[in-house]
Amino acid sequence: MIEQFKNIVNIISALAIPLMVLLFVVYGVYKKVKVYEKFIEGSKEGFDVAIKIIPYLVGMLVAIGIFRASGAMDVLVAILQPITNLIGMPPETLPLALLRPLSGSGSLGLMSELMNTHGVDSFIGVLASTMYGSSETTFYVLAVYFGSVNISKTRHAVPAGLIADLFGMLGALLIVRLLYI
Amino acid sequence: MLNYIWVGLIIIGIISAGGTDIYREVNDTYKNGSIIVGMFTQNSNLRGESKGEVEFQKENINLHYNGNLTQQSFNQPIAITIQKDGSRKFVIDVNDNSPQLWKEMSKGSSATGKLSGVISNMLLTEKENVYQINLAIEKINYLKLKAVTNAAFDYAGTAVTLALGLIGVMALWLGIMKIADEAGFLKIVTKLVSPITRRLFPDVPPDHPAVAAMVMNISANMLGLNNAATPMGLKAMEELNKLNTKVGTATNAMCTFLVINTAGLTLIPATVLAIRSAMGSSNPGIIIAPSIFGAGCATVAGLVAVKILQRMKRFSIEK
Repeated sequence: MIEQFKNIVNIISALAIPLMVLLFVVYGVYKKVKVYEKFIEGSKEGFDVAIKIIPYLVGMLVAIGIFRASGAMDVLVAILQPITNLIGMPPETLPLALLRPLSGSGSLGLMSELMNTHGVDSFIGVLASTMYGSSETTFYVLAVYFGSVNISKTRHAVPAGLIADLFGMLGALLIVRLLYI
Repeated sequence: MLNYIWVGLIIIGIISAGGTDIYREVNDTYKNGSIIVGMFTQNSNLRGESKGEVEFQKENINLHYNGNLTQQSFNQPIAITIQKDGSRKFVIDVNDNSPQLWKEMSKGSSATGKLSGVISNMLLTEKENVYQINLAIEKINYLKLKAVTNAAFDYAGTAVTLALGLIGVMALWLGIMKIADEAGFLKIVTKLVSPITRRLFPDVPPDHPAVAAMVMNISANMLGLNNAATPMGLKAMEELNKLNTKVGTATNAMCTFLVINTAGLTLIPATVLAIRSAMGSSNPGIIIAPSIFGAGCATVAGLVAVKILQRMKRFSIEK
């Protein structure tokens, strides 16, 4: 079942982009759009958008970098550990859950480390990979997306994003525990 | 909220770095200036520089640093040079064998990844080319604050690299999207999905170009096509911003759209699968269904949260 599903999704993923490009271009020609000129016109915005993001991304990543390098994460883990122990979350995976919304590459490294020390197919190994797959790097997404339209007053996006992350981690824990017990 | 988190990360980071450094300075964690004994086996000796390995016994190291090493002994590559004034300098390459503390110390030493210092005594033992040496490691201090400084500069550089790396894919997809837009293709997509989008984004007119861009972004994310997803998402933000009446402030639709994005629902978490098979998992795909479940929980919880929070006074647009 899972194998079949995986195959189907893999085929769709491989075909999606070439087909989409083909479809758009052919449909454009059919509708008598000057395709090359329009492509260049749209393309020009690409540079501006990327440049616009820089200050937002620098601000966000520097704060995250300072926090990570300081070792404050260990303190946070120590404070939260009693709570996570109550719900049956292995203490080894707590740093991963905390880092996931902050840093994509950092949490990927932590995940690999956990799988390395505890075994890929162990409870902790599977839980770590599920946790990684159950969420996105929230702060990176917020910085890039809001940065591209010069928005710094983000209102409820951050709390809602963090609530989503929390439930993603809890969902991952619940389902992996059900699978293993 | 982002303000508080941003300030929080910086303040907590710097204070805990400084606190740790002061604590370690007071407790003399790095044992600056005191001497460790090791056995040096010389492999080569060229123009006053001898290279080889130095072996440290567990008891010596544990006693020295009040540590709890478990391995009996460990070897480190070392180079010893004789200075003009006759004193001997050493450089140890810190590697995977090294104790955790040394790995940390080597990050803030005069040459990153190495620990250097002075040899105060060197005695030939009965075995040929084996010496007992007394090492005094260089003064190490303020490791965490140095790490924080480095991280700040490193991450600033990383941010620019990431943003510049987007230019190519952004240009490609914005170009393609422009063709689709001009041809009226986006309008067709919009019509198809309007039953769902009308409920999720009540403030966005159902035939607005933002809807098509958002739908394409979410589909690309689900298929794990990150390179295509980001440009489409940013296109969607640009279109949503055209409906924004208050410059610089997020709209309800933007927050809803971003929560769907940050929940990260993907049908195939490709990166994780690749790492799992590389590590020799007997069943790398076992995490697919659980990940969809986890991200599904995140998406539902995020959408509920966003709809509740947007009505709260402290998140109102005027504030």
